[in-house]
Amino acid sequence: MKFTHSINLVASFGLAFGLSSCGASGEKPGYEFAPQMYHSIAYEPLSQIRNEEEGGWLSTREDEKGEFYNSNPNNPHGMTMREPVANTVPRSNNGTLPYRLKAFELEKAALIENPVEFNDQVLAEGQQLYIQYCSTCHGLGGEGDGKAGEVIGGVANLKGGAYINLPEGHIFHVITAGKGRMLPHGSQISQERRWKIVHYVKQEIQKQ
Amino acid sequence: MSIKRSLLSVPLRISTLAMVFFLMLGSQAFAANPDVSDSDEAVAAGKTIFNANCKSCHKLDQKYTGPALRGVSDRRSIDWAKSFIKNSQALIATGDAQANALYKEYNNLAMPAHEFLSDDDVMNLLSYIEYGDKAEAVVEGAAGEGAQVGGGSGVPSEYLTIIVAVLVVVLLLILIVLGLIISVLTKYLNNQKLDEEDDEFINQKFDVKKLFKSDAFLIIVTALVIALVAKTAIDGLYSVGIQQGYQPSQPIAFSHELHAGQYEIECQYCHTGVEIGKSANIPSANICMNCHTHIQNVGGKEGISTEIAKIYAAVDNNQPIEWVRVHNLPDLAYFNHSQHVAVGGIECQTCHGPIQEMEVVYQHSTLTMGWCIDCHRQTEIAAQGNEYYDKLMQLHAGSKDALKVKDIGGLECAKCHY
Repeated sequence: MKFTHSINLVASFGLAFGLSSCGASGEKPGYEFAPQMYHSIAYEPLSQIRNEEEGGWLSTREDEKGEFYNSNPNNPHGMTMREPVANTVPRSNNGTLPYRLKAFELEKAALIENPVEFNDQVLAEGQQLYIQYCSTCHGLGGEGDGKAGEVIGGVANLKGGAYINLPEGHIFHVITAGKGRMLPHGSQISQERRWKIVHYVKQEIQKQ
Repeated sequence: MSIKRSLLSVPLRISTLAMVFFLMLGSQAFAANPDVSDSDEAVAAGKTIFNANCKSCHKLDQKYTGPALRGVSDRRSIDWAKSFIKNSQALIATGDAQANALYKEYNNLAMPAHEFLSDDDVMNLLSYIEYGDKAEAVVEGAAGEGAQVGGGSGVPSEYLTIIVAVLVVVLLLILIVLGLIISVLTKYLNNQKLDEEDDEFINQKFDVKKLFKSDAFLIIVTALVIALVAKTAIDGLYSVGIQQGYQPSQPIAFSHELHAGQYEIECQYCHTGVEIGKSANIPSANICMNCHTHIQNVGGKEGISTEIAKIYAAVDNNQPIEWVRVHNLPDLAYFNHSQHVAVGGIECQTCHGPIQEMEVVYQHSTLTMGWCIDCHRQTEIAAQGNEYYDKLMQLHAGSKDALKVKDIGGLECAKCHY
């Protein structure tokens, strides 16, 4: 009687503290209720499980791999995303074609005019984008005094004489392809957004 | 006469020596072309030009992105300096040896042309370069020290600890005094003549065994144990499937505290998808390289830090950096970042917590359905300037409450589960 009593006691304590370690902490993501509904069957762009054994204990897959295995065997590094096929042109939602000038073609680029029509909303969006992508180095006022810029050094003062009269196409080209110590930002910011930043730089920061 | 003369000559000689000494000191610190004016007006005018056009790449006494400038009018001719400042690329193209050597030394980094500067501007600039802000470094150091002194702000918490300690000491003293009073009183009463009942009361012993065996004690302890076990079990069950607090270590010890906190880099600079797509995206290595091409170590240290070297290795070998995903929303629920950030105007920190203070990122919110729904019930639609909501706002105008997410389908199952 006393023996079973103590077994019950130990079991209930064990159950309680066993369950208390179900949650996540540190390196441990914790347990899941319904793993088969949590893990994607389709390839996911931002998560990948390359271990073929993972989730083998509940697998119903025909290829006998683990339930959670999710990695594209046909692509390098098992990635889902691939680079576009060479010489293809992406379609944009407003019909603009990709910007094709190379980094050294700055003089040609300076002749291009801003295709985005200027209005107050564009200015507001441009300001938002300028804060997000440029102020880190060029500073909120464009004086080259952003916090990261001070560490990098050699950040242009957009209000300085060498920059204040630059044409819009020049600014667009430098954002896209980089110049001097600035690296290309074309991959981060879409074409339309870059032109909006140009509007903000010309109309607000370099206002004369 | 001779004595007098020699007496006079001693201080004279000392002053001459001193003069020579100071002149030599001056010539060691810098030498300037005599054509460069040292008038205050010229220096002040030059300072304005320097701050607007040169400061981001040059320092006066220190090599920065470009060379240290002080002494340039001695190293080079004034005409050379003028043509280099106005258009360095043109001067390099003429094959000028000094200009080409300089261009090469600084990794073929072109200095922008400054043709808008007049000859007078350049002369003023040179005045500032030679005679301006000599104590710059000293002043900066002093300012830094001042900032450090002002930085300590742990006073209130220290006071709190002292108050608590004093309270504990006072309570202990009271306890000791009470114990003393009891023993004194017992001794006194034992010496008095009392009846039996009172005598027993005074001399009763605290019986631990009896207490352990009493029903009340057993019931209370059992109830407490059952409650504790049940609570642990239920809490444990509720934590299944919730990854709040998950904080995996990453392949590169990237610190959001340093990047987003200290350097105030906007989230969107790296997480470029957050306003235009479903995922916020993990930045590719070329975005790291925008800054880390130039920043190779932390805290101004020399050489390449081991963590930053991992980015270079990834770029050089075309290898992806395998970050560990922190926020794993179950596949059964759909979530779109752009709808919440771009349309709803919600701050990143609302869901992700104080990211700018996280050395290693952890999951701040529960990401449970109850958590989502709770927010959908309380959040008003950010309809301002968004014509998509105009009609809905019109239809809702008669209601007392503001238009919330729950009113336009924010609680519908199929909104997120399909």
